[in-house]
Amino acid sequence: MVNFTVEEIRGLMDAPENIRNMCVIAHVDHGKSTLTDSLVQRAGIISAKNAGSARFTDTRPDEQERGVTIKSTAISLYGELPEKEDIKDIPVKTEKNEFLVNLIDSPGHVDFSSEVTAALRVTDGALVVVDTIEGVCVQTETVLRQALSERIKPVVIINKVDRALLELQLSKEDLFQNFSRCIESVNVVIATYFDKVLGDVQVMPDRGTIAFGSGLHGWAFTLRQFSAKYAKKFGVDKSKMMERLWGDNFFNPKTKKWTKIGNHEGQPLERAFNQFCLDPIFRIFDSIMNFKKEEIPKLLEKLEIKLASDEKDLEGKQLLKVVMRKFLPAADALMEMMIIHLPSPLTAQKYRMETLYEGPPDDESAIGIRDCDHKGPLMIYVSKMVPTSDKGRFYAFGRVFSGTARSGIKVRIQGPNYIPGKKEDMFIKSIQRTILMMGRYTEPIEDVPAGNILGLVGIDQFLLKSGTLTTSETAHNMKVMKFSVSPVVQRSVEVKNANDLPKLVEGLKRLSKSDPCVLTYINESGEHVVAGAGELHLEICLKDLEEDHAGVPLRISDPVVQYRETVAGTSSMTALSKSPNKHNRLYLTAQPLAEEVCKDIEQGRIGPRDDFKARARILADDHGWDVTDARKIWCFGPDTNGANLLVDQTKAVQYLNEIKDSVVSGFQWATKEGPVAEEPMRAVRFNIMDVTLHTDAIHRGGGQIIPTARRVLYAATLLADPGLMEPVFLVEIQVPEQAMGGIYGVLTRRRGHVFEENQRPGTPLFTVKAYLPVNESFGFNADLRSHTGGQAFPQSVFDHWEVLPGGSPLDKSTMTGKIVEDMRKRKGIKPDVPGYENYYDKL
Amino acid sequence: MASSAPILSTPAEHTFDDDHVPTTPTSRLSDEQLYLQYEITRTVSEIRDGRWKRIALQFPDEMLVDAPRVFEGLCDGLREERKRMRVVAQDVVETANEVKNISLVEEDKGLNGRDSAQEEDTEERLCILADTSYGACCVDEIAAEHVEAEVVVHYGRACLSPTARLPVIYVFTTKPMDMDTAIASFKQTYPDKGEKVCLMADIPYHHHLSDLAKSLLGEGYSSVFQTEIVRDPSSLLPNRTLPSDVQADAEQLKEYAVFHLSSPPTSLLLTLSSRVKNVHIFPTDQSGSKEAPEASTAALLRRRYALITRLSTASIFGILINTLSVSNYMTALKHCQDLIKAAGKKSYVFVVGKVNAAKVANFSEIGGWVVIGCWESSLIESKEFYKPIITPFELDVALTEDKERIWGGEWLADFSALLGREKKIGSKTTNVADANDETTATNDSNDAEVPWDEQSSDDEPPEFDMRTGRYISQSRPMGRSKAIKTATTNGSTGPKADPAPASSVLVQRARGDVATVNGAVSPAAQFLREKRTWQGLGSDYEISYERDEHGKIRGAATEEGRAGVAKGYSVGDDSSRS
Repeated sequence: MVNFTVEEIRGLMDAPENIRNMCVIAHVDHGKSTLTDSLVQRAGIISAKNAGSARFTDTRPDEQERGVTIKSTAISLYGELPEKEDIKDIPVKTEKNEFLVNLIDSPGHVDFSSEVTAALRVTDGALVVVDTIEGVCVQTETVLRQALSERIKPVVIINKVDRALLELQLSKEDLFQNFSRCIESVNVVIATYFDKVLGDVQVMPDRGTIAFGSGLHGWAFTLRQFSAKYAKKFGVDKSKMMERLWGDNFFNPKTKKWTKIGNHEGQPLERAFNQFCLDPIFRIFDSIMNFKKEEIPKLLEKLEIKLASDEKDLEGKQLLKVVMRKFLPAADALMEMMIIHLPSPLTAQKYRMETLYEGPPDDESAIGIRDCDHKGPLMIYVSKMVPTSDKGRFYAFGRVFSGTARSGIKVRIQGPNYIPGKKEDMFIKSIQRTILMMGRYTEPIEDVPAGNILGLVGIDQFLLKSGTLTTSETAHNMKVMKFSVSPVVQRSVEVKNANDLPKLVEGLKRLSKSDPCVLTYINESGEHVVAGAGELHLEICLKDLEEDHAGVPLRISDPVVQYRETVAGTSSMTALSKSPNKHNRLYLTAQPLAEEVCKDIEQGRIGPRDDFKARARILADDHGWDVTDARKIWCFGPDTNGANLLVDQTKAVQYLNEIKDSVVSGFQWATKEGPVAEEPMRAVRFNIMDVTLHTDAIHRGGGQIIPTARRVLYAATLLADPGLMEPVFLVEIQVPEQAMGGIYGVLTRRRGHVFEENQRPGTPLFTVKAYLPVNESFGFNADLRSHTGGQAFPQSVFDHWEVLPGGSPLDKSTMTGKIVEDMRKRKGIKPDVPGYENYYDKL
Repeated sequence: MASSAPILSTPAEHTFDDDHVPTTPTSRLSDEQLYLQYEITRTVSEIRDGRWKRIALQFPDEMLVDAPRVFEGLCDGLREERKRMRVVAQDVVETANEVKNISLVEEDKGLNGRDSAQEEDTEERLCILADTSYGACCVDEIAAEHVEAEVVVHYGRACLSPTARLPVIYVFTTKPMDMDTAIASFKQTYPDKGEKVCLMADIPYHHHLSDLAKSLLGEGYSSVFQTEIVRDPSSLLPNRTLPSDVQADAEQLKEYAVFHLSSPPTSLLLTLSSRVKNVHIFPTDQSGSKEAPEASTAALLRRRYALITRLSTASIFGILINTLSVSNYMTALKHCQDLIKAAGKKSYVFVVGKVNAAKVANFSEIGGWVVIGCWESSLIESKEFYKPIITPFELDVALTEDKERIWGGEWLADFSALLGREKKIGSKTTNVADANDETTATNDSNDAEVPWDEQSSDDEPPEFDMRTGRYISQSRPMGRSKAIKTATTNGSTGPKADPAPASSVLVQRARGDVATVNGAVSPAAQFLREKRTWQGLGSDYEISYERDEHGKIRGAATEEGRAGVAKGYSVGDDSSRS
């Protein structure tokens, strides 16, 4: 435990090349928080009373109770390399051997992966934790993919090696094979998301980017440590030694020579890795766990491990822990790996700038970010809000990318909808205080230079969830984060006592701020809705709402999903609507928009703010659009960025540009509340075929055009074989072979279907991937457990929208029709879907 | 060369075709029915009693078919009446002549009688007001004043809002109802004979109530109260009398159930739902069903709540004047304007006549509309409108801070009731303001230790829009705490805060500048600048001036122009030049 004063930490902050911002990411239950603990114990900076107690970064009581991380938590660590010489191994020139490691522990459960996204944004490196036994799971893959798309460099630790030894009793060679499989599957993911700028970031034990260890026992090693030990003995270079310690390298004790061939004169040779790295560990395990008392002291002496007097009396697992911790302390291995292989902000911001900044790459803010310049214009990205002890107020948690954040300076706070040059979503406000975030503690600090993570006080009222802070008037926004999860599950809440309504409203506002992903709003029928990524996420949010944010008793409805309205075909005829004064006509058709285009829109690859020529190029090249059509996209909707398009296909219509605003307004309105059940529309492309307008401007004003545009859009939709889309989860289930049957039964009953089934090599475990409609997923986990004797572990994440099968929503006898009818009844509108004749006018 | 332009869109000549052929329904009532339905005899006698000479007849659209016949009926009736009166008057004169020699006093009286007879003699002039400007339920005083009417006869169902200028004769035009089904339905709905029930009816069915009440008394229902029509929309039961125990204690009404003949207007239903135990509606649509379903307003109220919360972050409001006859409407307008202004938002006042979607959608700057109208017509429930339309009461709720807004089912339709309520609450709100002041004061004192508080030069924080779950940045364009701000600047900077004297020098407006009102940017101008892509002809050109080397605009030399009238202009003193 190193005790530092704030001044000393502040000193460390000034050298960006000595800073490492990194976060720990993994699948749920692979041991992130436990691993983080071992780092905190060793290197935590601030003297924390509770440091060392389990799961330091799980700051909430329910996190401790459930044993699952919900919020990501940052702490700062002090690190140094054991030998001064090692500094040379850092690819960038570094002078001092003292490092500030800002570490963020993130949740592993899919439902909270928005927290991971928020954490990744402010870091440059990631420690990916992989369970030796379970291997690379769905969430490992998701977070790794996210990290790579943010240009974050990964290093890997293969965790829970103790389980492989104690529970599975693997042999050395089996363990080696197991390791290689894990590493290979990690590298497969990394290779899939190869980024030229980031370069080759595949992880290799012989490069020192992989550690092996046990978070629970607090030990870990990299090949670098062993090679350092053996390099002198063999008299070879350290890096050469590292290469020899992995893969098909064997040391022939007879010839005293290194070889690539696995046997010598018919005798199998032992792999160097097994012989030099695993062997000592196996021996320790063997002697301690089998109580070979006489062997232990000898072994300890050989390995130069000294035990304290009280530790000598320990036995079994306790002793094992102590010995292993002394032999291969996890903190040392990890710290060394992170310091040497993860980039400093100075390095990382050079290549991350273009993915981080929306503006031109040569303006002052961009250059400031690129150079990590503490004298440049201030650029802070706030990635999330952290509740304070002061109820209703929040710390803004973020990172300084350029300039220096100081208490009292005036900044421009730019929300996600800010457009340079406009006044919307932009506020000027002074920062009241800057603070350091240390797990559950905060420390005030005077200023924070570029490259560091910080908390800000006093700007929480201006940002809902995230945003950019800058001092430059020309600065554009930092890119808005894209989450891998969407809030597709919703429940409505109401107060039991009408007088508590203001408290509920206030609570909903706070809830919305405290979580990067949750959505709270009032729907068309006046219910307060909380929408989250999954059942667990919602459960936690609602608990927070009831107990903390609102603090009043609530009635909570059953979970429901939101549907989307779409079309399955092209309008059977051109829809026509006339304006109320009959002097203007709009002719329109609707057709489905390809799923790939929708995905691109939803992920932000195609957006309303793009240059229209560049956008047309993408649409033409990747999606086979006609270039002239693609250039004439009037707008996206709903909310100006949804996955519906309005395309102008008219020829030579006079005054068309005058009514564009009105048609767009009507389009936003109609796509927000579709004709079938007043649900938002998705994946519909509307083509304006022709327009007839009155020659007097007053007779073609908004009043005539807006309602007409809405009517004609409805008519076109109803004429194009309308359908409902429902959200679908991708479920990954890990299950032993004998319990497989139960899964299929449960899935079939819930309209799910399996599309992939893999056996994990070397284990009896199967990984089953299936699609499951979100609507059918409520209670799925419990159902699955009861049918598999608690042996199946599902992870569900929103994957895509799918058209509800089983007939037209206009036909009441079908399932879809029933859903529509119920929905309309619930909303208090006429149960019958109005026919297209209500919106269609005859010529 | 082509003889005509290629046809690219629908030929222009079709544009003006009106394919809507109006069908003229014909009146199906027999003369006798007409007399009864339109209460012609009563109308005639009331007109005669009031000695009104110019009478306006106001019909709702669906009754216009009968209007000519009612008109004739009234004319005939009045003529008859005049004839009768003339006969009577002549009789009087004759008797007077007979006793000529009695006294002067008598003589005078006779003369008076003749005068009045002559006055009686002038023919009454009747006018049909065909097109009501706002709603059929309201008396259209403005239209009536155009024909200089002294009285308005209002046909059809009415909202009975108090009028400001003219007397009104209401003819409710009765409708038939099956009494037996109604009684059966009542018995089915209230098996308990001691149940406290208010009998109410939509106006055309109101005359059935007394019969119904009588039969129910006969059946043994003891606590049935039959309401009477009064002209008081702000009564607890709008426009109806109250049971005597309720008059003493308003809370008593909660124990009453309401049995309503025919479906009431939505605003009445919403008003009633929070005041009485429950409302059962007996449908009169001849379906013959005996069921009187209980009216549920929960869903409707929730939908209104959604609308209201949507408007609480709107920055610009339009106030629609939907009545010019309900008394107090000016006060209500003032009230709404004050509310909106106090919330730092902008309001514009519109008079558009009958509200429809096309009219209000012309103003896309407006975030939401408030209707000031009679208590029945100000609730506009339609999905067709581009922006939501709410009532003054709902505006009150919408502009309440999120921290205080309560939506517990109470709903007020009548704005005079709202204004009355305001006065009562007025004293309370000042208390709240005091409390607020106190809290800010304590905050100020804490400022040194806990610098959470905003500095005066900081921007106003955005507001959370509950409807969408997002932040809205300019929901109070006119500034919420303007008064406080100016006060502080006056205090601290003294003379600087004084507005600079208006300069008479022409200032060139920079491109992109937006009109300002009292220093605050006009929200509508801002909307034009930022939200509209089409900003009018010429907006796509830059106006450029010729400039000299100092950057000053080089204009043409000023010359004296022409003066005078079209008959003969003069230039300067030289009248010969023109």
